[in-house]
Amino acid sequence: MWGAWCARCHADDGSGKVNEPTVTVEPMDFTDCQVTSAEPDADWERAVAKGGPGVGLSPEMPGFEDSLTPEQITAFVAHMRGFCKETGWPSGNTNFPRPILTEKAFPENELVILPAVSHFSEEAAPGITEGTFKVVYERRFGKRSMFEIGVPLVTTDAFLTRTGGLGDFEVAIKHALYAAGTRIVSLGAEVVLPSGDRFKDHGNGTPIFEPYLSAGMTARDWYVQTQLKVEFPVDRLRASRAGVYNAYVGRDTSAAPNTWTIGVEVNGEIAFPLQGITRHVVAVTPQVRKGLTGTGALAASVGMMVPLNKRESQGVRWVGYLLWEYLEPLRARK
Amino acid sequence: MGRLLALGILGTITREKIAVPKVPKVPWVPMGLVLTALFSGTVAEAQPGSITGTITTSAKGVAPIRVTIDQKVCGDQLPDEAIIVDAQGRLANAVVILTGVKGQHAAGPMVMNENCRFAPRVQLIAPKANLKTSSKDPVLHTTNAQLENGRTLFNVALPRPGLTITRAISSSGNVRLSCNTHPWMRGWMVATSEAAAVSGADGRFTIDNVPPGSYELRVWHEALKGAPQKVMVTSGKVTEVNVRLAGGRD
Repeated sequence: MWGAWCARCHADDGSGKVNEPTVTVEPMDFTDCQVTSAEPDADWERAVAKGGPGVGLSPEMPGFEDSLTPEQITAFVAHMRGFCKETGWPSGNTNFPRPILTEKAFPENELVILPAVSHFSEEAAPGITEGTFKVVYERRFGKRSMFEIGVPLVTTDAFLTRTGGLGDFEVAIKHALYAAGTRIVSLGAEVVLPSGDRFKDHGNGTPIFEPYLSAGMTARDWYVQTQLKVEFPVDRLRASRAGVYNAYVGRDTSAAPNTWTIGVEVNGEIAFPLQGITRHVVAVTPQVRKGLTGTGALAASVGMMVPLNKRESQGVRWVGYLLWEYLEPLRARK
Repeated sequence: MGRLLALGILGTITREKIAVPKVPKVPWVPMGLVLTALFSGTVAEAQPGSITGTITTSAKGVAPIRVTIDQKVCGDQLPDEAIIVDAQGRLANAVVILTGVKGQHAAGPMVMNENCRFAPRVQLIAPKANLKTSSKDPVLHTTNAQLENGRTLFNVALPRPGLTITRAISSSGNVRLSCNTHPWMRGWMVATSEAAAVSGADGRFTIDNVPPGSYELRVWHEALKGAPQKVMVTSGKVTEVNVRLAGGRD
C-alpha cells in the first residue's frame, strides 16, 4: 500500500524525491534518520490520520483517518521508520516534553530561554529579589549525543542594592546510553565556569564539575523523568559539594503537538559544605507547558517552585522556559 | 397563455431548480402547475416571475490536459474543464446569483472523484454545508478543500473506490477543491443563501419563483469575469437576461 498510495509523493524509497511531483512542498526525507527517529510514533500517526493540517505541516498531505484503521496507520508509521537504515538512533518514543528543571534524557536541537525570578523577605529585613535569564543552545551530534552551552544573566536586588551581570557559563555534553521502547537513560557532564562576579553573588567563583544521570519513561499516559546530579567544586571553600535530585511526572491533555501538558516536579538539593552542617532543601514545582505552533516547534512552560522546607531562608521562585526546536518547521511551508 | 408557456419552459429546460421558501410548496410537475393555473380562476396580483438566459463568452476553450500519471485510470488525455464553451460561445459552469432573493442550496452536497475529475465541477451549496466526497477510481485521490484565500479547510484521502467521507465546511465562502495526486483536478462549490443557478452545457440558466422587483444579477466563473446586471422581474413573467463574460482569463 506504501507503493500504491504514499509513494506518489514520498517516493518508493521514502526520500520524497519523485520524478513527477504532484505537490508543491517537497515531503520530508524519511531516509534521514534524524528526521525519522526524533519524534514519537503518536506524532507521526496523527500526521497520517489527520493529514498535514492536523500537525501544523503542509496541507497537501491528506488525512487517512476515514480510510485506514488505527492498526494500519501504525503499520505505515513503522514502515516509514524503516527508511532509516542505520541502527543506534534513539527512538523518538523516548522524546518526552521537557520539564523546567529536570534535565531531559533525549538529545535535542533546541534553543531554550529560561527566565526565573524569586523574591524572599522576612520580617525586619529588606527583601531579596533575584532574577536569572539563561539562554541555552543545544545541538545534537552523532546518533545519540548532544552538547550545550548556557549563558545566564543574573540580577539581584538585595539589601537595597541592585546589581546585574553575567552569571557562570555552563557547557555540557550528554549521551543516551540506553533508549528502547519508551525508556531512556542518558549520562551527562556539565562544567560551570566562574564567569560571574562572586562578590555580587552572580557566580560561584570556582569551576564546578557536575556529572549526572537522566532517565525517562512513560507509565500509562504519564511521563516520568528523573535526574540525579553531583556537584564537585574545584574550591570547596567557595562552593559546596552537593547532590541534586529532580523528578517530574506529567501528562498531555490531548494528542495535538501544541497540546497543554501539565506536570509537577520535586526538586531537591543536599549540600555538604567543607565546614558546617549538611543542608537539604526540597521544593515542588507544579507547571504547565504549551506548544505554541501547530507543529509544537515552539513551546513555553511556566511553573512555581514552592519550597517545602527551610522556608525561613527561601521564597517562591517563578520558573519557566521558551524553547525553539530550530530544525523543525514552525509552520507549514507554502 | 404567456404564463402557461413560461411554466412549460421552466418545467423542461431548468437545470438548477431553486425553491424559494416564500412560495407555497407546489408539486414540481408542470402538468400540476398548468392545472393549477387553469382552475384557479383570476390569479392574484404579484405572482412570482422568473429569470432565464444564456451565458456566453468570447473566450475559447482550453487545450486538453496531457495525462502523465495514472493513465490506466485517467486515460492519456482529459478535457480541461476550466472553460467549457461551445462553438456558439455558450458557457457552462458559470454561476448567476440574484442579490436580495433568498435561495436554498444543498446542505449536504456530494462530489464524486470519477475518471480523475471532480463531478460536478461546479455546484451551489448552502453556507456551512457538510460536503460528502467519494471516489469511483481505483487510485489514490485526495479532496483538498480550500477557501478562495488559500486557507485549507480539510484534506482527506480517498485511497480506494466506494468510500464516502463527510466533512463540515466550517467557514462560509466559496470552496475550491483540488487533488494532491492529480494536479489538474478542480472543483468549485459556490456557497450562497441567495437564489442562484449554474449554467448548463448550452449556457442556459433559470432562476424561478422570483418576487417581482428590480434586482442585481451577479455572475461567477472560475476563470472568467463578468459585470453584474440589473434585472427587472414582473409578476408572473419570464425575464430573459443574457450575460456575456469577457474573454480574458484571470
